Formats: sequence, C-alpha cells, structure tokens
Amino acid sequence: MITPERAPSAVAVPHAPVQARRPARGSPLRAPYWMMTPSVALLALIVFLPILIAFYISLTGLNQYTIGDWLRAPFVGLRHYMDTLEPQGPFASSLFNSVKASLAFSLLTTALIMPIALGAALLFNQSLPGRAFFRAMMLIPYIIPTFVNAILWRLVFMNGTGVLDQLLSALHLGSRETFWLIGPNSLWAMVIADVWAAWPFVYLMSLAALQTIPAELYDAATIDGANGARGFLYVTLPLIRSTLGLAVVLSTINHFNNFTLPYVMFGISPPEQVNVLPLNIFVNSFVTFNFGLGAAMSVVALAIMLTPAVLYLRAARVGDESR
Amino acid sequence: MIVAALARRPRTARRSRGAAWRYAAAMGYLAFVLLPVLYMVLVSLQDSVSAGTILVPKSLHWQTFAEMWSTVDLGLYLRNSLLIAILTGVSASVLALGAAYVVARFRFRFRNPFRISLLATQAVPGVLLLLPLFVIYVVIQHTLAIHIVGSYFGVVLTYMTFALPFAIWMLSVYVASLPKEIEEQALVDGAHRYEVLRYVTFPLAVPGLVVTFIFSFLLAWNDVLFASVLTSPSTRTIGVGLQNYIADNTLPLWNQLMAASIISAVPAVVLFMIVQKWIVAGLAAGSTKG
Repeated sequence: MITPERAPSAVAVPHAPVQARRPARGSPLRAPYWMMTPSVALLALIVFLPILIAFYISLTGLNQYTIGDWLRAPFVGLRHYMDTLEPQGPFASSLFNSVKASLAFSLLTTALIMPIALGAALLFNQSLPGRAFFRAMMLIPYIIPTFVNAILWRLVFMNGTGVLDQLLSALHLGSRETFWLIGPNSLWAMVIADVWAAWPFVYLMSLAALQTIPAELYDAATIDGANGARGFLYVTLPLIRSTLGLAVVLSTINHFNNFTLPYVMFGISPPEQVNVLPLNIFVNSFVTFNFGLGAAMSVVALAIMLTPAVLYLRAARVGDESR
Repeated sequence: MIVAALARRPRTARRSRGAAWRYAAAMGYLAFVLLPVLYMVLVSLQDSVSAGTILVPKSLHWQTFAEMWSTVDLGLYLRNSLLIAILTGVSASVLALGAAYVVARFRFRFRNPFRISLLATQAVPGVLLLLPLFVIYVVIQHTLAIHIVGSYFGVVLTYMTFALPFAIWMLSVYVASLPKEIEEQALVDGAHRYEVLRYVTFPLAVPGLVVTFIFSFLLAWNDVLFASVLTSPSTRTIGVGLQNYIADNTLPLWNQLMAASIISAVPAVVLFMIVQKWIVAGLAAGSTKG
C-alpha cells in the first residue's frame, strides 16, 4: 500500500530475473536515472559538500582572524573533539548540558505532539459539518513563522506582565511573579511554544496516511464486528504505523535541530535548561567566532541525531523481512 | 439522502450523540489553535505603551495596522517571502517527483544508500551547513562571476535543496501506492518515459505534490537562519524583516510586531484554503481508482 517499508516489495521490479544482463539504453526496462540527476547533484553540492567542509573546519582552529583565508587556518587535529568529549575538557560540561537540554526538549515535545496530532487527524478524517474549515484552521499554528511564534510566547510567558502570570494569579493557581523565561520553567515554556507551533506537521502526515485507507476496509471490519477502538487498533493503526514512525523520527529531529525558537525566545545567553545544541553551536561559531569548536560540536550533534534515523530505517527493514 | 436517513432511523440517536462529541472535540481543537492567535490580535490593537502588558486593550488602537507599514518595509518583505516560498515549493515538488518516481518504480544498486541518505540529511543541523555553504557560494560567485549571495536565486536554490529529501521520500511512498498498470500500458503503446511521468504519473500524484508543496513552502517561509545571511536588504524575507520592529527601537513595538505578524499570515492562510480543496479533490479522485 502506502507504507515506506512495504513500498519496495509492493513494486514488482521491472527486470527479467532469468537474464542477468542490464537492460539496454533506451529500453523501457532501464531506470530513467536522468530524472533524479538534478536532485542528486543539488544535494551533493548544497548538503553533502558543506558537511565535508564542516568536518574539515572542525579539525582546524578557524576563527575570525583566519576566516578571510579559511583554507590556511591552522590544523589542530582532534583537539576540539577532546575539549568537548573528554570529561575534564574545558567545553565538556557545556556540551553535556546542551545534549541533555536538547534531548529533553525534543523528546518531551514529540511525546506531547503525537496524541494531539493523531487525535485531530482521526477526528477530522470523519464526516463533520464544516470539516474543510476545521481542517484548514488546524494548520494556522504551522503557517505562523517560527520567529513570530517565539515572540508571541515570549510575550505570553513574560514575568509579571505576561498573560500567563496574570491568568495564574487571577485563578489563584500561582504567583504573578512566576518566572517562565529563566530557571527550570524555561524548558516548559519552550516545549509549550513548540508543541503549539509544530503539531500540525504530524497531524498532516497522519491525515494523509489515514486517507489512503480504503473505506471498504472499514466496512469489512464493521461487518466482522470491529468498530470504534477495535477498528482503530486492528485496521487503522497497522496501516498508518510506519507513517507514524516516520513522523516520530522527523518530529524528534526537527525539534532537536530547532534554532530559531530558542534563539528568539531566549537570545544568545539562555538559561542552561534551554541552552540547546543548535544555540550553543551558534554562539560558539558566530558570537565568539570559534568556528572550529562550533563545527566539532555540530558534528557531535549530527552523530546524535543519526541514531533515531538509523533506528527507524532498521525497524522498517525488519518489518519488510518478516512479511 | 432523506431516504437513506429514514432507512437508518433506529441508529440516528446514537449517531447524533457521536456527532455531538465529535463537534465538541473539534471546538476544543479550534480553541487550542485560535486562543494564542486571539491574543496576538488583542496585543495588535493596544497602544505601543501598554502593548503586551495587558490582555484587553483600553481602547481599540486600529492605527497600529496603518503605522506598521512605514516603520519597516513590510510590503517588500512580504512580496519577497511569497516569491521565494512559492518558487521553492514548486521547484522542489517538480524535481522531487522525478527522483521519487525512479526510487519508487526501480531497483538500482544505490537505491537503499540513497534512501538512507535522504533520511540522514534530515538530521543535519542547519548551523552546521551555514558557514560552509556561504563559503561555497562565495567561491562559485568568484569563479563563475554570477550573483548568488543576496539574490532570490541563491535563497531559492538553498531552500529547494533542503526541501528535497523530505519531498522525495514522501512522493516515492505516494508513487509506489499508485497502480503501475496504466504506466506500463502507456509504455507498451510507445510513450516515452518522460511522457508517462508527465501525463500519467503527474496527474495521479497531485495530492502528494500538494503535500510536498506545503512543506517546502513552509520551510522557506519559516527560515530565519539562512535568510539572515543569504538575503540582501532588497531580497530580505519577512522572518528576518519582522525583527526590525523590536531591534532598532528603544521601545519594542509589540503591537506593530503582532499586527505585522497577523498580516503576514494572511497570504499563507488564503493559499492553504485553496490548497485544502485540492487535497479533498485529489482524494476524491484517488478513492474512485478502485
């Protein structure tokens, strides 16, 4: 059907199994590679080449004095990596703290988003008066630029004058002097802001997956006595499982790499609870101009984020073999 | 319709109760989405002194919506953002369809590494790419004597490429779900591979393309990091431009910032209302394919 892991097996491979020879040029059996050439070339130039350059920069002492002639920057080997990864390294606690903040932020956000988004997708997949209107309105938080979102929540969470503190004190739920933008609460402030802004992404993915399920399947399930929760468990969930898996991975990665939100909400000297990796890297690269250190930290960030991506791909392949 | 309703009479009560619950849930979601927006509207109608410190404006300060156009060049930023985001959405979707078609329909040696690298690129932090990318563009500018940094071309090229991995992935899954019998028939009838893609696969893939357009559009619309480096004052996008409301003034103009934010959301909202119909129409067509 539509699930990524089933896609390869669902497509009958258009090559004759008997003759192992490669289809001739121009033959309809030969893959039209030219169709993917532009995409591959652009990805190579604009994503993969910069990654290689970043690797190289992470091994140099590139800073604001050597940036003019960046190829001549002094080579320092693995020094930046030792500074950040060795327990006694001068930047080790800074990196460890940022990794902790980033993981807490991205995992909390994803965990809160999944039920909200799936609930909305299930709800607006059913017939409902004014469904098109509701469906469109759900996208509003996602359409609002991240920068605007960050400003909006900065206003909401402002200490004393912010609407949240005013509301809390009016309802006698908390003090008017509750600090949301500094201290331990800042993580929650950022999580709430990002959940509100990013949940429609998962909602759209879930809705698209739900709409590929043919209505006949539900009719058949209803005849067999499976509707409501059981219909969801045995018909819907298996069919959208892989899309949900992809949504979890992409959502976690997107939150982990979100730079704009913490930058605009907290600036370049954030509380330690929200000093997430992208912000820390940005400060090291573009505020203190230690490009080499910033590059080394972003390589570490990349390594961390490849883990969920690899896990997802593994799971997808295992699912393929079991079939 | 009436006949059908009459025939189902015994279940009507249960149905309407279910519908009421669904409606209540829908209203709950609507409040969740709209309350922060309502707060933005309220702040935009406050005067610049009290803006952001109170909830309900003392008097409706409509002038904010007139003042904001002259504080910063909002019209220019909006035009730039729309142009860049639409070009990004269209070019990324079209390019991705070609690659997605090959990935979905053929097995080739680098198929799996390619798919893995698509997902892997999603894990790359933007700050990692920013400096190297800038360096690459400057080198290309010097060798080819073309203008990249500060031009629409450079920004669109960057966003388009960033949007490609997700678009290719999404579309390859979508194309794989389409029946390939029609394509094969067209090939047997002597159509070229390009014609098959253009006249058979493309129309069927429109719902998938709409989704990739949305995501690519939003990627371009939301970015601040790359736009702040790759745009010049004349190609500045709204995300960067909005910062001027609170950056250059001693008194942050929260009310004008919120008003400008609301205005800047209007084109995107209108676009999505139109796209909404496309999704529904595409799905209706998809459901009849049997």
